[in-house]
Amino acid sequence: MIKRVLIIEDEPNIVESLRFLLEREGLEVTDQPDGAKAMESIKNTLPDLVILDVMLPNRSGFDILRDLHNAFTAPPKVMVLTAKGQARDRLTAEEIGVDLFMTKPFSNKEIISRILGLLA
Amino acid sequence: MRKSLSGTRIREQRRQARLTQKSLAEQAGISPSYLNLIEHNRRAVAGKVLLSIARVLDVPVSSLADGVDSAKISDLYEAAAHHPTIGAEVAGVEELAGRFPGWAQMIAALYRQTRDQEAMITALSDRLTHDPFLAESLHGMLSNITAIRSTSNILTNIDDIEPEKQARFHTIIHEESRRLTDSAQSLVQYFDKKADPKTGIATPQEELDAFLEHHNYGFPQLDNLGEAPASNVEIAYIVNRIMAEGVSVENQETSRLITAFLQQYARDAQAMPQSDFTKAARRCQYNPSQLAHIFGTSLHAVFRRLAFQDPAQTAAPPMGLAISNAAGRALSRRPIADFAFPRHGNACPLWPLYQSFATPHVPTLTLLELPGQHKFIGLAIAEAQSSPRFGAPPELNAAMLILHHEQRALLAKWLPDLGEARPIGITCRICPRQSCTARTEPQILGEDIPVQTISGQ
Repeated sequence: MIKRVLIIEDEPNIVESLRFLLEREGLEVTDQPDGAKAMESIKNTLPDLVILDVMLPNRSGFDILRDLHNAFTAPPKVMVLTAKGQARDRLTAEEIGVDLFMTKPFSNKEIISRILGLLA
Repeated sequence: MRKSLSGTRIREQRRQARLTQKSLAEQAGISPSYLNLIEHNRRAVAGKVLLSIARVLDVPVSSLADGVDSAKISDLYEAAAHHPTIGAEVAGVEELAGRFPGWAQMIAALYRQTRDQEAMITALSDRLTHDPFLAESLHGMLSNITAIRSTSNILTNIDDIEPEKQARFHTIIHEESRRLTDSAQSLVQYFDKKADPKTGIATPQEELDAFLEHHNYGFPQLDNLGEAPASNVEIAYIVNRIMAEGVSVENQETSRLITAFLQQYARDAQAMPQSDFTKAARRCQYNPSQLAHIFGTSLHAVFRRLAFQDPAQTAAPPMGLAISNAAGRALSRRPIADFAFPRHGNACPLWPLYQSFATPHVPTLTLLELPGQHKFIGLAIAEAQSSPRFGAPPELNAAMLILHHEQRALLAKWLPDLGEARPIGITCRICPRQSCTARTEPQILGEDIPVQTISGQ
């Protein structure tokens, strides 16, 4: 069964490179650039993995993460991918509940390997 | 207790003039023993005697009189306080200033420079942590770098990419590189504007102070805008011209502060045109309440109009002004000789400026005495800055107008008996009133002035 990945990220060029890399691995990729519409996209697509930016327009990634835990008893796996790499940001994400925390800029090889590991 | 400096200065000037005490005393018409007491600061000197001595020594009276170096001395005391481990002989500060004015000036200048640089470092550090522009710029740059790195890595390491996709990735790299360049240039410009290496001035408030000093605190272009109210466009045009003619201002925050100050000045000048105001002020002996009544303005507006004018243009007595918000932040200041406003840190909490917040809209008139026995008349009032709103706290600012007590004859018609002087200081660290109950920081002068009246206030 094809695994689905939803990228919640407002930088289209980052989305484009991630989409290219993930589709090459046989994954189905959708994206959502607007933080306020993130939950709607998650409910519509029911992804196996959400790649979530933190600094998003209209609603922050941390708020979306909280919404996700409130809305689902078994939420999809979540990888936070952010430029906010300070210890307190990592701690905030871990306190809310996250499967993986990665910072930008990332290595293509590493991010694909970690994503495939999460989806295995 | 602080001593008079005049004697020390007279002794130094006499030595430079190669005169004996006897010779100077004879030429000045006083006895050598009296001159000896003066030179050792055991007798105060003023009036005719001071004039005679200055004439014989061929120096300006101001170079011998007390108080001319009070700001410098305050800086020297602060410098000693700032480096307590060095063990500077604080008891000899006034002697230093009197005997070696050049060296004293250099120490004071170096100290001010150090404090300014420290303030700038703190401000920059705060900006790095909290500045939304920096946070957004750096986040944007990391996003650009992420896209460039990921895309170039795809082009380098993956062979079977369709030509159309390859072209698209090249375009992404080009776009993101350009955005990265723009962001980097913006950041460089942002940091370049942080300090003016020519003057060492760093903070917008200090740049505003320098701008006002450069213009002698008066702006004739705005003083007489004519009888018809000038439009905002006309005022903006004049304000822009003044800014273009004055010291170079590149910092946006400084520019905003100066523009806001000049617009306020223009509004005050329109409400109280220079010629009418000068005549009325003389007629009512600079009584702010009466001036506020005549021109239908607030007392704060009258205070500003009295303080922010070039004394050379109006022949009015010099008046200092401090305006603060309820949090104690200095919003505006016009210094006056012998009454220094602290450049950094908090001022004396006993200033009527701060106490007026306890009774908003009630003007107070207080005789003030700084260490060193300099007396001033302080007029203060806290006023709301906007119309009151239900359920919202009032936005209060306090203003304090300061005049030398020696100018009291100019106010004789309306000035009541001010009673005993209230002992105040400039800031706790350089204030010798050791047992003052309002003290918030230890002082470093090692001397004490009785403060029997302070605790009861």
